[in-house]
Parts: sequence; C-alpha cells; structure tokens
Amino acid sequence: MVDLPKKKVGIVACSGEELAEGTVTRLAALKVLEHLRPADTVTICLPLFLAGGAGDRAFARFYPTIAVDGCELRCAARATEMYSSKPAASVMVRELVAEKALGQPEGKRRLNGAGLQAVDETAKRIATLVDDLLEKHWNRRTGEFTEIVPVQTVQTTLQETEKVATCSCGSGIPIQKLIISGQEVTFVGLPLIFQQFREAGKAPGDATLGEIMDTVKIYNLVPVEDEPAYSEAILGEYRVFCGKEIAR
Amino acid sequence: MTGVRQKVVIVPCSGIGKTYGSVSRQAAYIVVEDLRPEDTQLAALSRLVMGDEASREMLARNPAITIDGCKLACATKMVRESSGVVAQDFAVLDVYRRYKQFKPQGISELNEGGEQLALALAEEIVGVVDHIITNSGGKEHRSINNLPERGENG
Repeated sequence: MVDLPKKKVGIVACSGEELAEGTVTRLAALKVLEHLRPADTVTICLPLFLAGGAGDRAFARFYPTIAVDGCELRCAARATEMYSSKPAASVMVRELVAEKALGQPEGKRRLNGAGLQAVDETAKRIATLVDDLLEKHWNRRTGEFTEIVPVQTVQTTLQETEKVATCSCGSGIPIQKLIISGQEVTFVGLPLIFQQFREAGKAPGDATLGEIMDTVKIYNLVPVEDEPAYSEAILGEYRVFCGKEIAR
Repeated sequence: MTGVRQKVVIVPCSGIGKTYGSVSRQAAYIVVEDLRPEDTQLAALSRLVMGDEASREMLARNPAITIDGCKLACATKMVRESSGVVAQDFAVLDVYRRYKQFKPQGISELNEGGEQLALALAEEIVGVVDHIITNSGGKEHRSINNLPERGENG
C-alpha cells in the first residue's frame, strides 16, 4: 500500500549554527523524531521554505507544526508562518531553560551538561505537544484545527512504516501541477493518491472519479463552482498515470 | 576602503535529517573555531531565511563559502537570495566521492568516518579561505576569481 501520509506532526527546528541553543533545538528535534515519537513526526529543513518548491511550502498546512527556536529571534516560528502556515505550537529553548532553572547551555559543537539537560527537557516538551496535537482534528485544506471531524477515508487505513527521522531533502510532500481552465493549479499529494488508486486496481472512469475527488479534497481546496473542471482534469491525468504504469 | 579586516563567511546547510547535513555543520565549526578563527565567521541559515539585516550586511561585505548537504543546495541558494557572493560552494556528497575511505554515519552524533570527512572538507575549505584572504590583501571585495582547483583526495 502506498504511504499516503497519515496524520503526523511537523517539527521545524531553527538549528541556529551560531548559538548553543540552536544546537539544542536540532538535537531535541532529532530525539523526538528518532526516539520519542518516530511514527508520529516529520521534519523539514527551515531554508526549504524559501529554497524548496510548492510541496515544501505546503508543509505547515499539511501537518500541524511545532516550531522549535533557540532564541528570541524565533526564526523557525516566524519563517514557518511567513512562508508556509502558522505553527500550531512553539517552543523556545531560552524560555524553557529559565522556566526549568537549568544552567546556561554552552558548546555549539559539543554541548555541556546544561545543554544536554536542555535537549532532554526540550524534547520532552515537544513530545507532549505532539501528543496534544494528535488528539485534535487538523484540516489540511485550511491548515487549521477544526472541531468538525473531516472525511478520513485514506490516512487512517494506511500502514506506517517510517521509523527514522526524515527531512525534506528528497522526502517532501509530492505535488503535481495541472492546467485547469487555462490556470496552473498545484495539487498536494496527487501522485501518491493516483498511485494508491492504481495499486488498488481502480480503473479510470466515472465510478472511480468520485472516490478520487473525495481523497483529493482532503488535501486540497476544490472550489465548488470549478469542481466539474477539476474532476475532468484529474480524471484525464489519472488516465495518463495509469497508461504510463501499464507501459512500464 | 574601510580598513575593516575581511573575513570569509562560512554558511553550512541546516540539514537535519541526513548525515551529510551534520558533516556540513561540523566542517563549518572546524574551520571557524579551530583552523581559521581569525579569517572566517559563521552565518546562520535561519537568519538568512528571515532576511536578517546584520547577516545580509555581513554577506554584502564579505565573500561566502557555502556547504550543502544535499542537491537542493539551500545554503548556496540562500546566500544568493541574500545578495551575497558565493566564492565557492561545496557539496558534501562531492567531497565524499573524493574521500570514499571515510564512511559517514549518524546525525545527532557523527561516527569517526563522519568526523574524518568533516575534517577533510574543512581542510579543503581552508585552502579556499587562504586563497581569498591572500588575494584580497585583507581588504573588502565583492568578487572572487581564479580560485584554486580541487583535486582528487585533496
């Protein structure tokens, strides 16, 4: 079965190279991604919001995101909001260090004892936030929490196999651009949706189209007035996709 | 000229999910803290992403060496986006191809191969730093030409 992302929480660390607290954010994020909540979290390198593509910029809309910053500049939180979507939660290492009355983290390359304590405390705080966020309903079209339970036909049935930290260097959210009524429209997750339907043996046609559109709408905004045009374009593209698969 | 001594700005990628990102970061620290502390300074990519004025100013006055952990080349792209001059861009994967005896592993903590690769990369970077500083005579400049070729195995 294709790994169409189930609900996960995104973690964006500032990774600030100039400060020991930046190293704390990086190591704490990795601890959550690799050890504390490996099945429930993903990450992206902060610069990809600018240097990457539309799939990278969709990150914080697709996943409720926790920004992890080292200092008052809050680059991770601000950049995530500016280029992707507002983070669902934030952690700032200096605040946490003060709150827990820890010593001053030092050593950008090799953290001192206080720095390592700060890593543990920051990771614990992130993991708690991950658990909190997973209990709420996230709307991937709007990038906001909602009290209304969204249609969840796909993500809840998928097997989860990722167990290691992943970043968007080659693992961003796949997108596909289609021309609809003369306009270029970007669809988040479309290649994976096609692959999933193809693997389920669902042939292109009207019978499948409704199901495909229901799935597409989980991840993308489809204007009601444009739905016929969107449906036609997506069905055509699914035919092309299936044709290519057969040709392989 | 302002009389301010020129420094080369070292910009590693912020790669968090792969070993090459950690090698990039480690190599930058080796250059800036151990090998050429007087001639180099570190720039944080997160600040460039936010368009931080002090970082942009630093790049406007000094050439940069970027170190990227993957083909997306965030560090190089961000320096150029910030109107900086990339004197030399290093890709960790290319460097690894020159030093295949070092097998890097680990992200939070690099293994010995990763540390050795970072050191080899740092030494290549130092070669470029020295060339820049020597040719600039310690003065500010905006463009770097005739950089040394990088050969096999350093």
